[in-house]
Amino acid sequence: MKRRVVITGMGTVNPLAHTVEETWSALLGGQSGFGPITTFDATTFPSRFAAMVKDYHLEDHVPDAARHATAGRHTHFAIGAAVQAWQAAGLAQRDTLDREALGLYLGSGEGRLDFDNFMSCIIDSWRGGAVDTAAWAKLAFHRMELYREVEQEANMVLAHLANRFGVAGPAYNVLTACAASTQAIGEAASQIRAADIDAAITGGAHSMVHTMAITGFTRLTALSRRNDEMETASRPFDLTRDGFVIGEGATIMILEEYRAAKKRGAPMLAEIVGYGSSADAYRITDQDPEGAGAAAAMTAALADAGLSPKQINYINAHGTGTKQNDIVETRAVKAAFGRHAPAIPISSVKSQLGHLIGAAGATELMTCVLALRDGTIPPTAHLTTPDPDCDLDYVPNTPRKAKLKYVMSNSMGFGGQNNSLIIAAVK
Amino acid sequence: MADRRVVITGLGPVAPSGVGIEAFWSAALAGRRCVRRVEDFDPSNFPTQICGPLTDFSARDFVPKDYRKAVKVMARDIQIAVACADLAIRDAGLSTPSAPGPGHVPDPRRFGCNIGSGLMCADMNELGSALVSSLSDGRFDFRAWGSGAMENLAPLWLLKYLPNMLACHSTILHQCRGPSNTIACGDASGHLAVAEAASWIRRGAADVVLAGAAESKLNPMGLLRQTLLGRTCVSRNDEPASACCPFDASHAGTAIGEGGGLIILEELKHARARKARIYAEVVGWAAASDPAAVDLRRPTCGNVAAALRRALAKASLAPDQIDLALPHGTAVPAEDDAETAAWSVALTGRAAPLAACTATGAMGSLFAGASGISTIAAAMALHTQTIPPTVNFTAPAAPSSLTFQPTAAWTPLRAAACASFTVGGQSAACVLKRYPA
Repeated sequence: MKRRVVITGMGTVNPLAHTVEETWSALLGGQSGFGPITTFDATTFPSRFAAMVKDYHLEDHVPDAARHATAGRHTHFAIGAAVQAWQAAGLAQRDTLDREALGLYLGSGEGRLDFDNFMSCIIDSWRGGAVDTAAWAKLAFHRMELYREVEQEANMVLAHLANRFGVAGPAYNVLTACAASTQAIGEAASQIRAADIDAAITGGAHSMVHTMAITGFTRLTALSRRNDEMETASRPFDLTRDGFVIGEGATIMILEEYRAAKKRGAPMLAEIVGYGSSADAYRITDQDPEGAGAAAAMTAALADAGLSPKQINYINAHGTGTKQNDIVETRAVKAAFGRHAPAIPISSVKSQLGHLIGAAGATELMTCVLALRDGTIPPTAHLTTPDPDCDLDYVPNTPRKAKLKYVMSNSMGFGGQNNSLIIAAVK
Repeated sequence: MADRRVVITGLGPVAPSGVGIEAFWSAALAGRRCVRRVEDFDPSNFPTQICGPLTDFSARDFVPKDYRKAVKVMARDIQIAVACADLAIRDAGLSTPSAPGPGHVPDPRRFGCNIGSGLMCADMNELGSALVSSLSDGRFDFRAWGSGAMENLAPLWLLKYLPNMLACHSTILHQCRGPSNTIACGDASGHLAVAEAASWIRRGAADVVLAGAAESKLNPMGLLRQTLLGRTCVSRNDEPASACCPFDASHAGTAIGEGGGLIILEELKHARARKARIYAEVVGWAAASDPAAVDLRRPTCGNVAAALRRALAKASLAPDQIDLALPHGTAVPAEDDAETAAWSVALTGRAAPLAACTATGAMGSLFAGASGISTIAAAMALHTQTIPPTVNFTAPAAPSSLTFQPTAAWTPLRAAACASFTVGGQSAACVLKRYPA
């Protein structure tokens, strides 16, 4: 008998709010999470704003925050989100999960560089056009510190969550760029289906609002430079879009095998019914212009779920607000859904949340779960000037009531790794 | 889909001991030792000054002419992976746009890619050249950087260091358009990638998958970080070749190596239909985590015991049906001792000691690349019924159920188990079986 997978708890820390319900109200109320960058002096940068997590303190979520004192910013987000998810799943009250059958599967980013020390060591050991490594070593071993270095490894978020929840089962972290946490949830669900595990803590956490990442994305000309209108800078599918707004945050979900979840009386928020993954295999700098790669992930998810295109009632888009992505994604939806494409509402919550990179997919899937629950599609905000090349129904600016049975969430990673998930209400 | 079996049909090692399966395996059997003094940069003020470098390696040899320019936007880790991919695909007798040949052309939609990677370090000279133009009073000046100096960095600079670029370049070169993943889970990444790729094939999401991992920490930041962790050998800079001795009584830390291993995993019927050479069958895999390993001052081997036990269970094999162990063997004393104990726990019920081998002594730690390489060594051992020697081993550091040999041994091998673990507590195991059994 096929093992089914349900979402039994969710938690989030993102630029709009630090709880699931407040995030949902903020999204439906038209709020944006964008503001000036405060983590470093970005006042002369071409893009001076981001979707930052504001006023976040781990102490508000756990009584023993000191236990994670060495952890990076994104790990702190992940812990806050995971504790919420654990509570929402009813596991804080009564926890019967077998720890070896409990997995961790995250799409978490690298931690941030110890920027000041990293830079000063290079600068102070610069001799004749190169780093003098003998001089560098003297300085670096004095200035750099174990935990600040090792906590940058992408697997360290796993280490903190494993410690917090006593996870002895499989622990994976993936970094398929902007598709990471969608992939994490899809693969975690696959492991439950395959009976490798019975439950998983999954999702993503990332913070790239730091000097070198902003520099890198600026050099790639991927970021919006609408500094004077930063509140409305993220404009997916709008003709005036000029790039994405980089964000940070974490969203964590608890997945469980359906019968086990039912047996323990767990809340069942949604069922994961389909997952598909693909690669563009096109170029490292560009998406396949016809969207064939993204379409293949959507088609694979439909096949996995045993659904036909017309059964999907809403698509949560990757919708970054870059010139290229939104056209390619529109073509991909048309390729995957054919004549049904114009009838399916599509929206991008990145218009209000920004692009949380590794954490984007999980955060967006969370909004799909809420959309399914409330029969309400979150809008694509800041969409006032239609782009003739983006000619589908993007649910502009106001939420829409709709009867939703099957919802798809898409993520497309830089470099061409695409992932799609389909969820349904639990029957 | 339980009837879908997964076999290994191509091997692509890029290791300090050799590039390509023939060079790699003959060096392994000969017990060639490759750890030497660091030459790529002046290591004189580093506590550890030894390493296992790739020599005479150029990624340009592994990509078509029109792709050579792109090698400039590949960090060392990516270059290694791209070479591994080319080697594995050619070894499997597959034909792709980047590795054309008379062989079978895999259906791109059924061809997946799952490559593990580590934390890549920015080239400090490249960064420094851009930085020095934005200093004020000898310090980094954010305002000068933001208003123009950052333009001294190449536009594609960020792409050089994104961990998913190992997979992205490989998928582009070889047209793998099926499932694609990038596992970033330290040293365990290669085994986790192989495990997940095998599960893709088993559930029918792909027929052929390029899987494994590659990494290079052979740079000043890599040496620094591993030394801060207390993992490097700092006492034998004058005798590098014998410095790294996993599980030996004289183990005293590891040497930083670089390399990787990618393999071609294929669904059995698919492989047989095209008359592919089959090295071994992948029959079991599992991962496990050590919740206490967040404390970096208390080194562990993750939860290798549970990973091995669960991988054997998935393979439906008892401990006495395994004839070869490939432990991670970092040569870090506390990690070695923990791993020795973990294997003993996993082998509970087995009467005789288990033959074992590890390549760490010969080439240093390859981090994520190590778990790719150990899968390749396991496949070759089963295919040739040969146990490669473990260099720098004379007497065990602790009572052990594993036995290491000083020279290569020809002996019947039915199945092999490999394990890996990483700082932070994640660990994985894969079980391979001789094919045909």
